[in-house]
Amino acid sequence: MTESNQQKSGSKHVIAPRPVGANYLLVGAGSMYTASVIAGFLVGYLLDYLFGTMPLFFLICGVLGFVAGARKVHLLSNRVNVATVTAKKKEEQNAE
Amino acid sequence: MTTVEYMQHHLTNNSVGEGFWTFNLDTIAVSIMLGALIVFVSMRLVRKMEAGTPGGFQNFVESILDFVAVNVRDAFPGHNPLIAPLALTVFLWIWLMNFMDLIPIDLLPYLFQLVTGDSHAYLKVVPTTDLNTTLAMSLTVFFLVIFYNIKIKGLWGYTKVFLFHPFGKFLIPINIIMTLIEEVAKPLSLALRLFGNLFAGELVFLLIALIGGTLAVGAAALFWAPVQILLDLAWLIFHLLVITLQAFIFMVLTIVYLGMAHEDVEHESVH
Repeated sequence: MTESNQQKSGSKHVIAPRPVGANYLLVGAGSMYTASVIAGFLVGYLLDYLFGTMPLFFLICGVLGFVAGARKVHLLSNRVNVATVTAKKKEEQNAE
Repeated sequence: MTTVEYMQHHLTNNSVGEGFWTFNLDTIAVSIMLGALIVFVSMRLVRKMEAGTPGGFQNFVESILDFVAVNVRDAFPGHNPLIAPLALTVFLWIWLMNFMDLIPIDLLPYLFQLVTGDSHAYLKVVPTTDLNTTLAMSLTVFFLVIFYNIKIKGLWGYTKVFLFHPFGKFLIPINIIMTLIEEVAKPLSLALRLFGNLFAGELVFLLIALIGGTLAVGAAALFWAPVQILLDLAWLIFHLLVITLQAFIFMVLTIVYLGMAHEDVEHESVH
């Protein structure tokens, strides 16, 4: 954090909030993205196997796997933002 | 034996059966033995436990219990008496299985070959470098998650997650596929992360061990043997961190996934 930012926030030491609940999922955000892509292709393969439509669902679910992975990582990072903002607000309220 | 044959030999399980019904005997035996070790040590400790002046080992075990209890408190919202013992078992068992990676790579296979009298007998001593182990553990967690989802939310409540999440009621077919993918991704990511880290660690140990058989021959050994020892020590110390971290991540994600199964449908967005 630069000095001007520190002055703006009003504190020199910013302590990261202790991870609580789903924030722990962040440690696996990268592998969750990869696993979503693999899971997409797996589910697609299974559907194609069931309906005999290879490679229709394989491709569709593969793309959906990418979407699901990206969406999940996005939600996770958003959730951390929310946690940080909430922690900051609490700090400010305590200071007042 | 060429370098490729050496590595392939180390990475092949001692197995019986074929296809789907292949049983990796070394993986099963080592993991059961390590599980039995946990049970045996715990039972001994309970018998010798003192309330007033606990000994060094009791202190050590109590610190592990505290560590797990703190993590469960932070990551699990409600109350379920199963979670803490499950988390502790997962952490200890995975750590011990990972720890097998730190035993000199040729030692146990060599002893096994001496005992069996077969100079080509296979023995892969790290259960977590076998995808079957990590997938079995993550699938167990996955089934527990489904069980608690249905128990807490009800069958209809859990079905609603599949039908209306994440794009609302107008895209039900896509919702079903997306949620299915997200659900399948959970055990996959758990299993692949642990397997990938440990398998890669094992490979690096193998590559370092290869220095002894390929480069450290004759006068060159004066240079390469110390290099091998240094590299091995460095990787061992680093790997000690990796095996603990991987056991911790598996434990904490198990708690978080089970915690999310205990939450309401409204909080399902990051599920």
